[in-house]
Amino acid sequence: MAIEEVDAGSELDERSIVDPAIEIRNAKVTYDEGESYVLDDVSIDLDRNEVLGVVGESGSGKSMFASSLLDSVPDPGVLTGRITYHPRDGEPIEVLDLSKEELRELRWEEISMVFQGAMSSFNPVLKVRTHFEETLEAHDANVAEGMDFARELLSDLYLDPDRVLDAYPHELSGGMTQRALIALSMVLNPEVLVMDEPTAALDLLMQRSILQLLEDLQAKYDISLVFITHDLPLIAALADRMAIMYAFRFVEVAPTQDLVANAAHPYTRMLLNSTPNLDAPLAEMKPIEGQSPAPINLPSGCAFHPRCPLAEEQCMQSEPDYHDVSDRQGARCFRWEAAQAQILLNYEDMLEDRGTSGGDADE
Amino acid sequence: MNYYLRRFLRVIVTIWAVATFTFALIRLLPGGPLVQLRAQLIRSGASPERVETLIQSYTKIQPDAPIYVQYFDYITSLVQGDLGESISTGRSVGEVVGGALPWTLWIAIATTILVFALAIVWGAIMAYFEGSNFDLASSSASILAASMPFYVLAMLLIIIVGYEFGWFPTRFRIDPNLEAPVFSVAFVGSALYHSVLPIASMVLTGAGLQVLAMRGNSISVLGKDFVTVARLRGLSDRRISITYVARNAILPMYTSMLLSVGWYLGGTVIVEEIFTYRGIGYYMYEGLESRDYPLMMGIFLILTSTLVIGVFVADLTYGLVDPRIQTGDQSESF
Ligand SMILES: Nc1ncnc2c1ncn2[C@@H]1O[C@H](COP(=O)(O)OP(=O)(O)OP(=O)(O)O)[C@@H](O)[C@H]1O
Ligand code: SF4
Ligand SMILES: [Mg+2]
Repeated sequence: MAIEEVDAGSELDERSIVDPAIEIRNAKVTYDEGESYVLDDVSIDLDRNEVLGVVGESGSGKSMFASSLLDSVPDPGVLTGRITYHPRDGEPIEVLDLSKEELRELRWEEISMVFQGAMSSFNPVLKVRTHFEETLEAHDANVAEGMDFARELLSDLYLDPDRVLDAYPHELSGGMTQRALIALSMVLNPEVLVMDEPTAALDLLMQRSILQLLEDLQAKYDISLVFITHDLPLIAALADRMAIMYAFRFVEVAPTQDLVANAAHPYTRMLLNSTPNLDAPLAEMKPIEGQSPAPINLPSGCAFHPRCPLAEEQCMQSEPDYHDVSDRQGARCFRWEAAQAQILLNYEDMLEDRGTSGGDADE
Repeated sequence: MNYYLRRFLRVIVTIWAVATFTFALIRLLPGGPLVQLRAQLIRSGASPERVETLIQSYTKIQPDAPIYVQYFDYITSLVQGDLGESISTGRSVGEVVGGALPWTLWIAIATTILVFALAIVWGAIMAYFEGSNFDLASSSASILAASMPFYVLAMLLIIIVGYEFGWFPTRFRIDPNLEAPVFSVAFVGSALYHSVLPIASMVLTGAGLQVLAMRGNSISVLGKDFVTVARLRGLSDRRISITYVARNAILPMYTSMLLSVGWYLGGTVIVEEIFTYRGIGYYMYEGLESRDYPLMMGIFLILTSTLVIGVFVADLTYGLVDPRIQTGDQSESF
C-alpha cells in the first residue's frame, strides 16, 4: 500500500517537472502602483491533466489568481511576473508578452474560464445557442462541427442539447445555467480550464453532481483544471493537488491526500477543523476566529499571525518562506512541525482507525 | 381570456371612459361649456330655436332629451367618427383634426425618434469615455438642456436662428404659396424645412434627460459579468458594444420611448402655437382661445386615444425586444 502511494507520488512529481501546462512565477497584482498587492508574489505550476484545487476565504485573492492565468485582471489592476503556457505540442508561450490579438486567440482556445457567477455570464437578450455560435465564429472555428461538439458536451453534462440551446438564459435553472456555461467554456476544446467558484450558488446536491460530471469531463477531454472554491471538503473529493490561499498568497500546497492527512500550515489545519463535512462530528467544528486581512495594512511578518495560536516573536518580525514538508508539500510557516504536533485535526482518530495512509506516505 | 384580447378591450374601455368624461364635462358642469356655448350663440343674435339646433349640431347633444338618450347619441356619433362641429372654424371637428393630425404626428414622431437616436448614440459614447472631459462637458450640457423648458428654447431659436440668421422659417407648417397638398418634392421639402425649428426646440430640450439615462444604463451594463465574459470569449468590440452593451442599455428605455410620443403630442399644443404651425396642437390652443368647446374636446379625445394606443403598442411589443418579459398572462410591463 505504502509503496504504491510513493510510486504514484513520484509519477506525479515527474509530470510536474517534465510537463507543466502553466507555470506561474512571481505573479503580482496591484491596484495602487505597488502600495498593496491583491495577488502577492504567487508561484505555482499547473500540471498537465491535473485538477488543482484552490481554496481560500472570501477576499483572499482567488479570483485575482484565476484572472491572472488569462491575463484578464479587472481594470485598472496591473499584473506582473511570468505566466508561461505550455501547449501540448509547440513552443512555450509567455502569456504576459502576447499582443492583443494573440491573447484574444489564447483565451478560450487554449485557456478557458468559467467566471464566478454563472447566472450573469449569459447575455439575457440572446439565446444560449447564439452564445456558442458567436464564440465559434469569433475564433474562426467551423460552426457546424463546433455545434455538434457543443451538443456532445451538453449531453455529457446530462442536459437536453436542443432544449438548452433554444432557451433564453432566464429560462434555465441555476444548475442548468451552470452546466451550460461549463459547456460554453469548453466548446473550443481548451487545454486548461479555470473555474472560479462554479458551484457556489447551487444547492449541495447539485454541487456534488456537477463535481462528478467535471471529473468525467476532465478525464474524457484531457483538460487541466483549476478549481477555485472556499469549500475545502467539496474540492478535496476531486482535486489531485490543493493550494491554500491566505492574504493573497498560497500558504500551503500539497497533494490532496497529504493535505487532508498531514496539513502543515496552522491555517490549513484550522480550516480543516472548521468544516463540518469531513466525517467529523459537528460538535468538534471550530470556526477560525478573527478576520481575513485586507490588502492595505497587511499584518507584518506572517500575515496569519494575528489569528495563529502558535504565533511567536519571529512570526511578527519576518515573513516565513516556503518550508518543504516533503518534496511535494510546502508550507509558509516557521513552525509547521509544531503545528502538526499541536493543532490536532478533529478527525485524526478516524484517519488512524481506518489506517488511512496519506500521512505515512511521506515517511 | 386571451392576453391580447384583454389588452385590446382595456384600450377600448379607456377610450370609452375618456369619451364619457368629455361628455360629462360638456353636459353636466354647471356654468360649463354648454352654458358658455348657449350664451355665446345668444350673444351672436340667433333666435332661441336656432340656438338649440346649433347646439345640437355642434355638440351632438339634444339638451331636451333625457340624459341617457343624449349620452347614447353622443357615443353613437363618436363611433361613426363624427366629433361634432367646430364653432370657430365652421367646419366639422373631424375635418379640422383630419387635416391637422398628420402634421402633428410628424412633429411628435420625428421628435421622439431624434431624441432617442441622439440619446442612445451620445449616451453610449459618454459611458464608454466615462470620466473624460468629453463626458463631463456632455453631462453638464445635458443637465442644462433638460432644465430648459422647450418653449424658452423655441423663442430663442426663433430670435437667433430665425430672425438674426434667417436660416429657417419661424412660422407655418409649409410655404403658404404651396398650401395645396400636392405630394411633390417641393411640398415635402418645404414641409421638412418648416418643421425644423419646432422639432429642434423639443429635441434639444428633451434629449438631455434621455442622454443621461442612456449613459447611466450603459455604464451599468458595461460592468456586468456577461460583458466581461464576452470579452474573454474574444468577441469583436463591435459586437460587444452593439449586441451586448447597447441592446441591454436601451431595453429599460423602450417603454418611455413609446410613451414619449404621447408626451410630445401634448407638447405640440404650445410649440405649434409658438410657430403658428397648424397641427392639432395649434387648433387645440385656438379652440381654447375662442372657447370652441367641440373642437377642444375632439382634440382632447384624439390626443388621449393616441397615448392609450401608444401604451398598448408598448405593451404588445415589449416581449419582442426583451425575451425575459413574456407577453403572456402573468407579466405586464405596466
Ligand atoms: N477591481 C478591483 N479593484 C481593487 N481591488 C479589488 C478589485 N477587485 C478585487 N479587489 C480586491 O482584491 C482582493 C482579492 O479579491 P478576489 O476577488 O480575488 O477575492 P476572492 O478570493 O475571489 O473572493 P471571493 O471568494 O469573494 O470571490 C480583495 O481584497 C478585493 O478587495
Ligand atoms: S509563521 Fe508563525 S504566525 Fe505564521 S502561521 Fe506559522 S506559526 Fe503561525
Ligand atoms: Mg472571487
